[in-house]
Amino acid sequence: MPSLVDAARSQVGRKILSGITGILLGIFIIFHLIGNLTLFGSEQAFNIYSHTLESMGIFLYLFEIGLVLVFLVHAYIGVAIWLRKRKRRPVGYEKYSSMGDPSKQTFSSRSMIFTGIILLIFTVTHVATFKYGDTQMITVDGTQMKDLKALVINTFQNPWYVIYYIVVMILLGFHLRHGAWSAFTSLTMKGGTKTSAVVYTVGTIFAVLMAVGFLFIPLYIYATGGTGALIAS
Amino acid sequence: MSLASNVPEGDLKEKWTKRLNDINLVAPNNKRLYNVIVVGTGLAGASAAASLAELGYNVQSFCIQDSARRAHSIAAQGGINAAKNYPNDGDTIWRLFYDTIKGGDYRSRESNVYRLAEISNEIIDQAVAQGVPFAREYGGLLANRSFGGAQVSRTFYARGQTGQQLLLGAYQAFMKEIDSGKIDYYPRHEMLDLVVHNGKARGIVTRDLVSGEIRRHTADAVLLCTGGYGNAYYLSTNAKNSNVTAAWRCHKRGAYFANPCYVQIHPTCIPQSGDYQSKLTLMSESLRNDGRVWVPKDKNDERHPNDIPEEERDYYLERKYPSFGNLVPRDVASRNAKYVTDEGRGVGETGKAVYLDFADAIERRGRDYIEEKYGNLFEMYHKITDENPYERPMRIFPAVHYTMGGLWVDYNLMSNIPGLFVLGEANFSDHGGNRLGASALMQGLADGYFVIPYTLGDYLGGEDLDQVEGNEEAFEEAENYAQEHIDKLLNVEGDKTVVEFHQELGKIMWDKVGISRDEEGLKEAIKEIQELRDEFWERVRVPGESANYNKYLEFAGRVADFLELGELMAKDALHREESAGCHFREEYQTEEGEALRNDEEFSYVAAFEYQGLNGEIQHELHKENLEFEFVELKQRSYK
Amino acid sequence: MSNDNMQFDLKIWKQEDGDSQGAFQEYHMEGVSEDMSFLEMLDLLNEKLIKNGDEPVEFDYDCREGICGACSLVVNGIAHGPKEETPVCELYMREFEDGQEIVIEPWRAAAFPVIKDLVVDRSAFDRIMAAGGYISTKTGSAPEANTIAVDKEDADKAFDYATCIGCGACVAACPNSSASLFTGAKISHLSLLPQGKHERKERAVRMVEQMEKEGFGDCSNHAECEAVCPVGISISAIARMRKEYMRAVTES
Ligand SMILES: Cc1cc2nc3c(=O)[nH]c(=O)nc-3n(C[C@H](O)[C@H](O)[C@H](O)COP(=O)(O)OP(=O)(O)OC[C@H]3O[C@@H](n4cnc5c(N)ncnc54)[C@H](O)[C@@H]3O)c2cc1C
Ligand code: SF4
Ligand code: FES
Repeated sequence: MPSLVDAARSQVGRKILSGITGILLGIFIIFHLIGNLTLFGSEQAFNIYSHTLESMGIFLYLFEIGLVLVFLVHAYIGVAIWLRKRKRRPVGYEKYSSMGDPSKQTFSSRSMIFTGIILLIFTVTHVATFKYGDTQMITVDGTQMKDLKALVINTFQNPWYVIYYIVVMILLGFHLRHGAWSAFTSLTMKGGTKTSAVVYTVGTIFAVLMAVGFLFIPLYIYATGGTGALIAS
Repeated sequence: MSLASNVPEGDLKEKWTKRLNDINLVAPNNKRLYNVIVVGTGLAGASAAASLAELGYNVQSFCIQDSARRAHSIAAQGGINAAKNYPNDGDTIWRLFYDTIKGGDYRSRESNVYRLAEISNEIIDQAVAQGVPFAREYGGLLANRSFGGAQVSRTFYARGQTGQQLLLGAYQAFMKEIDSGKIDYYPRHEMLDLVVHNGKARGIVTRDLVSGEIRRHTADAVLLCTGGYGNAYYLSTNAKNSNVTAAWRCHKRGAYFANPCYVQIHPTCIPQSGDYQSKLTLMSESLRNDGRVWVPKDKNDERHPNDIPEEERDYYLERKYPSFGNLVPRDVASRNAKYVTDEGRGVGETGKAVYLDFADAIERRGRDYIEEKYGNLFEMYHKITDENPYERPMRIFPAVHYTMGGLWVDYNLMSNIPGLFVLGEANFSDHGGNRLGASALMQGLADGYFVIPYTLGDYLGGEDLDQVEGNEEAFEEAENYAQEHIDKLLNVEGDKTVVEFHQELGKIMWDKVGISRDEEGLKEAIKEIQELRDEFWERVRVPGESANYNKYLEFAGRVADFLELGELMAKDALHREESAGCHFREEYQTEEGEALRNDEEFSYVAAFEYQGLNGEIQHELHKENLEFEFVELKQRSYK
Repeated sequence: MSNDNMQFDLKIWKQEDGDSQGAFQEYHMEGVSEDMSFLEMLDLLNEKLIKNGDEPVEFDYDCREGICGACSLVVNGIAHGPKEETPVCELYMREFEDGQEIVIEPWRAAAFPVIKDLVVDRSAFDRIMAAGGYISTKTGSAPEANTIAVDKEDADKAFDYATCIGCGACVAACPNSSASLFTGAKISHLSLLPQGKHERKERAVRMVEQMEKEGFGDCSNHAECEAVCPVGISISAIARMRKEYMRAVTES
């Protein structure tokens, strides 16, 4: 029998790992979105939320390191599969079409590497902008904290930035659409044609919710100049 | 050479046990010193190769297809018989034996058939243990269904894919031995000749179908499991690669060809739709349980079948055979379809079809019932013909399906050439003049799993075989001959294609050596085949070269052999002045139009010895008399 | 009356042998009947080519009734052509538009090298099967068949997986050239039956490893394989393969 390490590197193992890391990232995204939505809460809700996270100290670092690892493993597997794929079919088809249902081959599934790489680049810029961006300090209920909310609102006054975000969030939706289905299928290790159809639909709804949730924020801020009714000030 | 059938003495029920008690054995350690060639990977070949390799023999296995799993056996649909008596309906080994002998119209060897019935149960055990997913009852135990020619339910089945599942079982056992290194596997290799050295079969010559390379292979024994020769008719239910080449080349090296004229024509196939048609598709005969066969009473009636009123239809089987009706045996159903179409009452665009109508059954039992029972067949029919059989009657017509004839073998399955064994459809052994449904799978697996492992050991253990290297004169000669034959084919460079010749041969065979035969037609057929053969060697055009993949070159070689075999089939049919099973001679029928046997003069196996003289093909007939010690010969009647 | 004078523009991959470079060749076909099968249409083309002294097009087939798995053509970008659950030997010309262009290519995958024109080498499938795709049963040692009861439901499911005809369309259609559906179908068939449980761990591990060794790609759950599979093997076979594999590595 192969060792667990060998097993993890096998075709099946890779896929399971990709599924697990994908799901972890998916969960992270859900919480991230919920957190972001505090922007639409009370005046300082977003800043308090950010500050609470920052004050977790070492735990936050551990969490971040874990997240980066998960992210890298996920990306590594994806890139490795993609690189291998060319070797697996050195001469391509002159004409290639999908048979259609029950195939799950779509723009989503075929562009995973592309959307994935964009998401990777995006993540770096995103962290640079918001984690290491210039912020003012403010005092809320006697506690000093970064005014991240202002940073967010200011950033999304730039139309290019907003477009960039919207495009990437749409791509995120595509990535999640196939990713959710794929991870679930790999991990539950079951599913006939009917279950597959259900899982796929649920995955698509999830993807749309996430994409719309994330892109709504910059769009709204930009459209209302940061002073919309949803944003308390 | 003599025709010693080598059947053990004694009571029918004791014969096989007695043989097993008396055979020579090869000690376990010595088996690895023997090399065995197995040609063919159908049910017979795969089961034999796997079983022999398990015992320790070194096996070399060959097949034409790119994988052993694609052998023609994969296409068998209906089922496999065994005398398990699970339904508790009174089946016994004796009954299975008796039905098979009677179904074969008393033209097979009692001892072989009894052994087959005896072994049948073990085959089911073996297949189940291998994971063959036979149909089961809700309680988890095996299910059975009934098939033609029997009054008990003894057929085991795996939906309509029994052959596929049994072959995959055998193939998997075979792959296991490849894994353990006991089988050398040569797919995409065609056997072109047998090497007979010092009077014994010691090897074969093959062509690598990818590189075109001709090679010699040496062995201590050769097992031929190369299937039947139904493709002599061009159109048949056989796979396109099914052929007689391996058997025919053995025949030319001295092996006797037995009963070549016994060819089974299956009544329920999808009719031909045009000249371009390349093959015919079988529809399980179980359809005749609910379908009613008819043609219009008037000639050339071109109305839509649903517009032809009841009183203008002729349900000819029900009319002529009131007690069996639509369920008469295959040969009777086929012959009657030919009669009504010959009268000009056939239906469809070509006029070469009869209706199989389910309207009554649908009305009586409901569409759901029919769908549940025959859904996949109806779908297949719909796919191929683009007609919906729920709404209009199916069109069916007989097609060549199985060949009972084949190389002559003794009780041990050895041909008259020592060391050459013949298994499965390629031998002539167990089905006499007509094979019952679900018995070919049984025979192929019986031969491969449970007969050859013992009888081969008996031969090897009892012979003193000298070492062969492959450079002996016999090998040299066989290889040169194979190469010359190929060169000859390529060098004709004529203007007619191989397929055209094959189609022409098929037409002669179908018209004159087909469902029913008569002296005049057979004599014409012999002449026409000879002429066609001469024309072939003057006008055939084989494209491409020999040192590459070349399907048309393969076919050319096979058609050349069919052109010789066809003549022998006609000669055999001509000499057999009686009707027996599927061999129906117009001159020999009862007043009611049924097959009339002549047991006095023709109760024998006709084994032909090849004698090619000055380019003329000649044959000497040897007779193996069939003694019926245990059953009484009767006239079949289905009225 | 059926239309028996259809015309087609064929664009077919021609390749002398495994070592040569291939290229497309175009042929114009007339006089095609809508009742011809796709392979009979190619037969007709070859008859014409041979009569003209040209090289025929090589393609694989045997049973021509959808059971042997030999036929293997990618027709207009789809393995086995446009009709669902239908291998190309059971595809009829009535499925096409008169006058249409039809592109015909071989299965394309590193693990299925081209032998000639449209014929490929699928021996990798045999080697996957040899790596444990069986239940070890010595001939003669089997117990009485009905001592092994199998739940009807399991037997039926096992059967569904066992109907794989080994054609390789799943690999041909997969964007990654993965053989997971084929391998999964055999693992699923055998692991569902009580007879097959004893060797299940080793079987799953060895077959999965062999699949990789042969150069088949990873499964990315595109599920294109299920869509082109001529016998409708469900991708639940792949799920079962993963389960068997994980069970083998975690339980030992
Ligand atoms: C459509 C159909 C349905 C049937 N249904 C049933 C049924 O329900 N029940 C039943 O009992 N029987 C049925 N039969 C009959 C039965 O399938 C066959 O008789 C049986 O499978 C023959 O098995 P075999 O092993 O003898 O040969 P095959 O399976 O024909 O195998 C022949 C092997 O020999 C190889 N070969 C041939 N020539 C050469 C050569 N020159 N060199 C190298 N290799 C060669 C081939 O590659 C192949 O591997 C059916 C037949 C048909 C056509
Ligand atoms: S799983 Fe389907 S597509 Fe793949 S080899 Fe089997 S039958 Fe062909
Ligand atoms: S030729 Fe046999 S499946 Fe198509």
